Amino acid sequence: MSECIWNQPGSLAETFWKNGKADFPIYDMHGHMGAHYAIYFKICEAPEMVQHVKRIGVKRLVFSHHEALWGSVRNAQVCEICKQFPDTLRMYLGIIPQRQDFIKEDIAQFDKWAPYAVGLKFLPGYHGADVGDSRYEYALSFANERGLPILIHTWGEDPSLLKTIQKYPNAKFFIAHCCYGAWDYAIRCVKESHDNAWLELTAIPGDRGIIEKLVDGVGSEKILYGTDMPWFDEYQGVGGVLAAKITDEDKLNILSRNPERILGKDF
Amino acid sequence: MKDLMFFDANCQVGDFIDPRPGVTGLLAEMDHYGVDKALVRHSGIAKAPLSTNKELAEMLQKEDPEQRLTGVWCILPHSCDEIPEPDEFFRQMKENRIGAITLSPFEHRYQPRPIVIGKMMDAAAERKVPVLLDAFAGQWDKLYDFLERFPKNTFIYAENWGKWGSDRNIRPLLETYENFHFEIARYWVPEGIKGLADKYGADRILYGSCFPKGEQGCGMLQLKHSGLDDESIAKIAGKNLERILKGAQL
Repeated sequence: MSECIWNQPGSLAETFWKNGKADFPIYDMHGHMGAHYAIYFKICEAPEMVQHVKRIGVKRLVFSHHEALWGSVRNAQVCEICKQFPDTLRMYLGIIPQRQDFIKEDIAQFDKWAPYAVGLKFLPGYHGADVGDSRYEYALSFANERGLPILIHTWGEDPSLLKTIQKYPNAKFFIAHCCYGAWDYAIRCVKESHDNAWLELTAIPGDRGIIEKLVDGVGSEKILYGTDMPWFDEYQGVGGVLAAKITDEDKLNILSRNPERILGKDF
Repeated sequence: MKDLMFFDANCQVGDFIDPRPGVTGLLAEMDHYGVDKALVRHSGIAKAPLSTNKELAEMLQKEDPEQRLTGVWCILPHSCDEIPEPDEFFRQMKENRIGAITLSPFEHRYQPRPIVIGKMMDAAAERKVPVLLDAFAGQWDKLYDFLERFPKNTFIYAENWGKWGSDRNIRPLLETYENFHFEIARYWVPEGIKGLADKYGADRILYGSCFPKGEQGCGMLQLKHSGLDDESIAKIAGKNLERILKGAQL
């Protein structure tokens, strides 16, 4: 019992257990904000969320506002929220395929929203589309031209995902939820990409053995940490990474190093 | 670390259809994460309630000499005489280190009503034997009906369904039934554990993992840094379940 992970001297698990945080920055690459019709959140607005993520040492929370994904809040308003917490918040532009007018207006302002806007967010299933839908082409071309990240919600296998990743080799595809359940397909999407795809872990920490399978499949350098904040608790998410049977180097890659490699240390 | 005792309220063991860890595998996992004790049920209950009751007792006896595990047995309707009368059933439970009961009425195709299982449920209520509600996870209408019919029992809602916060369904039950306890294996709502404990008391919340589908470590860190005071954390980690099981008069 004395050798349990929380007691191993000098380990990341021990550090978080004792101190609640460590001396490296965590990047939560999959967040949201605001109320959601399907669930009660204890916290879901920027001040409380920032307080929560900072407690565990999250340096950047990159999020798309729930209502920007339904169209009732515009991305410009989300940028104003980011400005209130410039040391913590970064945003993905919510992309609604049905609203080509919004897409073109918002992408035209992308540079103006620096450094807060770092990429795009697609929610294909919820928007009644797959990622190969022609209504995503304008946004995909923009991301491809700029080498920007696109966080794509996935759940199960979407055959158009791999084709899209291969079609836009300069865009950086963050595969949210790792095609939940279709693990082998998610691994294929990374391995058969032009080195332009990463697996994002939201909803997976806590599922026994899955992080280990993904690390084995693509290597920890291709995996990103995320929580869907305010859906999932940061300590639960980080706890799930720490509890995975992988090395501390793997855990550091996932929690901290990989986003810096993709976006730089000061994004 | 060892000043905090963890008692996992939501574990399954035993092969059934899919290969799954047995008692030895669970104990190894508990050592890895520092979980002291666990309440375990057989993973094959839904398809073979009687034989898995027996098999679980045998597994505990053979593979858990330190007695870190407490078992859960499944009940069936009394009219068909498939299980003994309550006094005898509870005697056998005590003899075999079984501390709680569960039921799976939907798989076992009976109505979970007083005229069907009332004899056992009433006896369990009187003796404070906890009843796991794992088979009702996510089936809110059925769970609400069931609790209306058996309001006096001691219940543990063991989550094995979704991982999205179920406050809108769980909170009314915590408000209404004083012996209803909520196990938090898949309750990942940010600041949620503290929110529930502040409103309903830490006595009503139990640590669990949903092993083997879930791993045991993430919930430990989530609870440890939930923002609650040490006493509340200790209760949720293990003292509450220990109290509930000790309170059962088998």
